[in-house]
Amino acid sequence: MAHDPLELTSGTEARKAFWPTLRRGVGLVRDHRLVLGISIVLAIAGQIFTIAIPWATGRVVDEAMKPKDTDQLRYLIILILGLAIGRFFIMYLRRIISGTMAVNIERDLRNLVYHHLLSLSFPFFDRNQTGQIMNRATVDLTTLRLYLGYGILFFTQHTISIVAVMAVLFWMNALVALLVLVIVPPLIILAVVYARRSQPIVTEAQQALGQVTTQAEESVVGIRVIKAFGQEQQEVERFRERADSVFAYNVEATRLRAKYIPVMDFLPTISLALLIAIGGYAVINDRMSLGDFVTYSLLVGLIVMPLRMIGGWIGDTQRFVVSSQRVFQILDMRPSIEDLPDAQPLPAGGGEIRFEGVTFGYRPERPIIRDIELTIEPGSTVAIIGRTGSGKTTLTQLVPRFYDASAGRVLVEGVDVRQLRLDELRGAIGTVAEDTYLFSASIHDNIAFGRPDATDAEVRLAAERAQAAGFIEELPDGYGTMVGERGLTLSGGQRQRIAIARALLLDPRILILDDATASVDASTESRIRDALVEVMQGRTTLIIAHRLSTIALADRIVVLDEGRIVADGSHDELIGTNDVYREIHDHGLVDRRFVNADGDHVIIPVGHEEGVT
Amino acid sequence: MSRGWGPAGGEVASGKGMRKQGLQRIRRLGRYAGPYRARLILAIVAMFGVLGCTLALPLLMKTAIDSAILPGDTRLLVLIAAVVIAIGIVGIALARVETYFTGWVGERILNDLRTDLFQHMQGLSMGYFERQRTGVLISRLTNDVEALQQLVTDGLTSTVRNILTLVVAGGILLVLDFRLALATIIVFPLMAVLTFVFRGQSAKAYGQMRSRLALVTAALQEDLNGIRVIQAYRRESGSRAQIAVLNESYREANRTTVTSSGWYFPTVEFLAAVATCIVFGYGGYLYVDGTIEIGVLVAFIGYLASFFDPVQQLSQVYNTFLAGSAALDKIFDVMDDEPTLVDAPDAQALPHLIGAVRFEDVRFGYNPERPVIDGLSIDVAAGQTVALVGHTGAGKSTIIKLLARFYDPQAGRITIDGHDLRSVTLASLRAQIAMVPQEGFLFNGTIHENIAFGRPTATRAEVEAAAREVGADRFIEELPGGYDEEVRERGGRLSIGQRQLIAFARALLVDPRLLILDEATSSVDIQTEAHIEEALQRLLADRTAFVVAHRLSTIRNADLIVVLEHGAVLESGSHEELLARGGRYRALYGDWAEAISR
Ligand SMILES: Nc1ncnc2c1ncn2[C@@H]1O[C@H](COP(=O)(O)OP(=O)(O)OP(=O)(O)O)[C@@H](O)[C@H]1O
Ligand SMILES: Nc1ncnc2c1ncn2[C@@H]1O[C@H](COP(=O)(O)OP(=O)(O)OP(=O)(O)O)[C@@H](O)[C@H]1O
Ligand SMILES: [Mg+2]
Repeated sequence: MAHDPLELTSGTEARKAFWPTLRRGVGLVRDHRLVLGISIVLAIAGQIFTIAIPWATGRVVDEAMKPKDTDQLRYLIILILGLAIGRFFIMYLRRIISGTMAVNIERDLRNLVYHHLLSLSFPFFDRNQTGQIMNRATVDLTTLRLYLGYGILFFTQHTISIVAVMAVLFWMNALVALLVLVIVPPLIILAVVYARRSQPIVTEAQQALGQVTTQAEESVVGIRVIKAFGQEQQEVERFRERADSVFAYNVEATRLRAKYIPVMDFLPTISLALLIAIGGYAVINDRMSLGDFVTYSLLVGLIVMPLRMIGGWIGDTQRFVVSSQRVFQILDMRPSIEDLPDAQPLPAGGGEIRFEGVTFGYRPERPIIRDIELTIEPGSTVAIIGRTGSGKTTLTQLVPRFYDASAGRVLVEGVDVRQLRLDELRGAIGTVAEDTYLFSASIHDNIAFGRPDATDAEVRLAAERAQAAGFIEELPDGYGTMVGERGLTLSGGQRQRIAIARALLLDPRILILDDATASVDASTESRIRDALVEVMQGRTTLIIAHRLSTIALADRIVVLDEGRIVADGSHDELIGTNDVYREIHDHGLVDRRFVNADGDHVIIPVGHEEGVT
Repeated sequence: MSRGWGPAGGEVASGKGMRKQGLQRIRRLGRYAGPYRARLILAIVAMFGVLGCTLALPLLMKTAIDSAILPGDTRLLVLIAAVVIAIGIVGIALARVETYFTGWVGERILNDLRTDLFQHMQGLSMGYFERQRTGVLISRLTNDVEALQQLVTDGLTSTVRNILTLVVAGGILLVLDFRLALATIIVFPLMAVLTFVFRGQSAKAYGQMRSRLALVTAALQEDLNGIRVIQAYRRESGSRAQIAVLNESYREANRTTVTSSGWYFPTVEFLAAVATCIVFGYGGYLYVDGTIEIGVLVAFIGYLASFFDPVQQLSQVYNTFLAGSAALDKIFDVMDDEPTLVDAPDAQALPHLIGAVRFEDVRFGYNPERPVIDGLSIDVAAGQTVALVGHTGAGKSTIIKLLARFYDPQAGRITIDGHDLRSVTLASLRAQIAMVPQEGFLFNGTIHENIAFGRPTATRAEVEAAAREVGADRFIEELPGGYDEEVRERGGRLSIGQRQLIAFARALLVDPRLLILDEATSSVDIQTEAHIEEALQRLLADRTAFVVAHRLSTIRNADLIVVLEHGAVLESGSHEELLARGGRYRALYGDWAEAISR
């Protein structure tokens, strides 16, 4: 199956495009390259001082102690102190400058990725799990920032110090240097092999960990269902399985570490032994001074750490490339829905909506709505009805351009929505979605979500219209009450009413109510309805509903079935011709008969029903 | 918009209290190592060996210079070289043992801790989950355990190793040359003070950094969850600005850590150089006096390195330590949070449920000072269908949560077949009831897995039968993958009504004795709803059911209708009785009647 361009992949395929990805990843520091350059220069300078100190130490042995020259001793000690002071300032500057650079890089990276994520469109979020995206925005981002903020710098610094130490060693005594440096090739080879072998396991471990996170998230979010069905133990078992697989990978990584790292740690003892045997022999035969011998032993110590770091660095680079790829996948996702370069402002109007031959599916091979031809007059109220899954929600989501039609056009005020400025288009549309999402913020902030500058009075008015003011005012903190995550500390109906208030506050030209009162009781619903009658004046309103009571608000009813419009007209027109509508109607009728049987209720006749029977 | 969260954990307690508590925490963590004692001891023994190998080297260097090179003894020289190589080989073997077993034990402890924590969390009561933010709970299981990883697999051993090195190297220095050792050791008070100051600074900065980072991530998480609302309301730029602000404040905290390590580490390096100068300055005079040998001085330089490195490393490890102990705190806080809803010690399994349910003068509030349910009494005979009716927020869902024992009442009691809910085991209770909650949460997985959630062993035929009962079979069969279609996070690939149907089928599949429906068909079309109602008539024939619905058609058929207001029963009875009474139900009924008769 061809890969869906909107779906994120694991990023390991980046190994094939290693160099381009690496170059691009490193390119992220572009804005900081001057500071990076300065840091590198400082790091090199610091390294020179660090190497000079063992050298001076060797001089102390040869030139001061052996000849017992106290003046020379004093002079050399002052020299070492001077070098130390110099190194102190250089290293201080280096740390402050590069540390600041690293935190700035991190901030820039975070802003870059986070901001970009918020601009991506619905189809992207349909295809990728939040946990996955979060993983990239946290774990991979950390890999990137460590590599860019410190990795490059350290790599340069270590390379320079290896080269410098080797140069000094050779300059002092080529033969001994050669013997001492025999450990360099095996050390590098070991480091590389280790990195190569552990890299895939580290990646696997990370992926396994990602699974643990996803499972943790689901089990926390779905806890009610888990508890209701008493499935805690099953969840624990599943979690244990995943945690065990993380354990297995980590143990494997530990095994490799135990295999390679100790060898690398103790390899330098070979150098030391060679130095003692051969260097010592040279000193005895006066072919080398004791001071040089001391300098050698200290320098060997200095070269080991950088050599090992370089090995580790190869692994870091591989990880960096994979993480870069994973982050770039996100950065390369263009919002599939964004303004055209020459997008037009939304023309004035009363909210006319037109569908012209519109076909759309979340996946192209499975169209959800087909060949929709529909014109909704400005200021009218249209009910969209149909069975569960018939495509009602999908149809309305094309109007604010949450998705683009795959064929045909959707027009608002006579202009194709793809040519309008998204901002203005969505600003003119208020949506109450069927699954209410509230943010963990105060009730006030939730209602004012679309218009953060709204005054308290405006917020209150919107709440009143949505029949929410009553319960809000009863809460201990009123409008300042914090609603829990997703609004879970409110009842279902309370949540829905806040969502209605949120939409009403926008004062939108087009109002879309997607089953907006499903969880509201009949009395409240009827009051909302009364308020809506008022609110709907002068707006175009799309109502999705299953109940006759709500459908009755509409002047016109559109019936969807399997994504096609199968009927369209007023109550009178549909009652005789459409099964779906008749069923809804008859269902309402059953209730009505009861009312009749009850006798003393004054009933307003249901449309033309009287005439039909 | 200001978010309603405090700092998301990572709060730093500072000062002595924390250190002491930290030790307790670590001791508690140590208990997790108990089962793996043998491996741990092996690792520690190996560690001593490695330490011995490492520390022997400068001493050998000294012997080489003083006893072999200076006197010109080549045979001894070769011997020493051979010993060095032997030490290297032994060192490799021991270090392998140490690395493997410390790593293994560390990972094992983490794994046990993580699973324990998860298990414990699953047992915590609903109230706990409502108080905590999802992101925070998840981060306990992930970020905090990760933060411990460094401490457990690396930090602890490297602390022990470094302290040991410090002590042994100090001892060797004293033995090598008492005077010189004392002279060099004057650097250490200075070092101690610096380290103390640094630790104070970085502890604070580090804690701040962590809690601010948690805020940034939590903000992103919530924005991603609510991305559809954000885009519908064009709040992208507002959210961006907010994230940028949080990010900047995180950067500030981060910057502080740069400043403190900026001065500390170069100073330590500088002090090391000063110590070298002392060795040569003072040692040089001693040498000129002829009271010390060059080899001793060289060995001194070697041991000074073993002395300063641990100090540096200890301060580096200190951050790991802080992060780890902060994480431990948070993890153990969760573990210490006793589930408020547990089986009583003498809890009995609920026998086969017949279905007589009584609420006796029940009071309950999510916040005990604000009761949501007050003085509620309901008496349901076995096999009856009860409809709960009332305004939104009247407490219908709350009653249902009490019945499923998500919460315990603060006063009064709830009984099933005469058994107080608190006297039976939760498992036996929940095994016999099933509920369709108001928000039909689905898990990431296939349709089959979701329907079979309450009975994972169910066959495909049983799953299909449950789907058929609620009329979900029609749409499922049309899906490209049928019952194996992935529904994705929260069931995002299905329409809301479809999600509700799956949640309904899920409840039917467990064949419960007591069925609870909280607006289970609120988003389902009339046709399907009628179909379900028909099926229910049959299914509920001999079972008790609690139904919350706003639709008259659903309610009318109930044996008992309970009208609630402000958490108490306003009136109850059958449809006819209530209508005849002319009370609140009648008024509600009027609203329905009006609604349908427009
Ligand atoms: N987890 C919670 N924490 C605090 N308060 C809550 C919580 N859940 C509900 N409430 C409050 O308790 C009251 C009763 O809520 P409940 O969900 O029982 O209402 P309901 O009758 O089911 O309403 P609806 O018909 O809208 O679902 C409401 O005022 C609500 O705000
Ligand atoms: N994000 C999505 N990805 C893939 N398929 C989807 C997605 N959302 C909905 N569908 C499918 O599209 C079809 C129409 O869904 P839609 O939500 O428009 O139905 P609806 O008419 O609003 O139903 P309901 O009354 O239950 O809300 C359904 O079959 C559903 O499975
Ligand atoms: Mg829908």
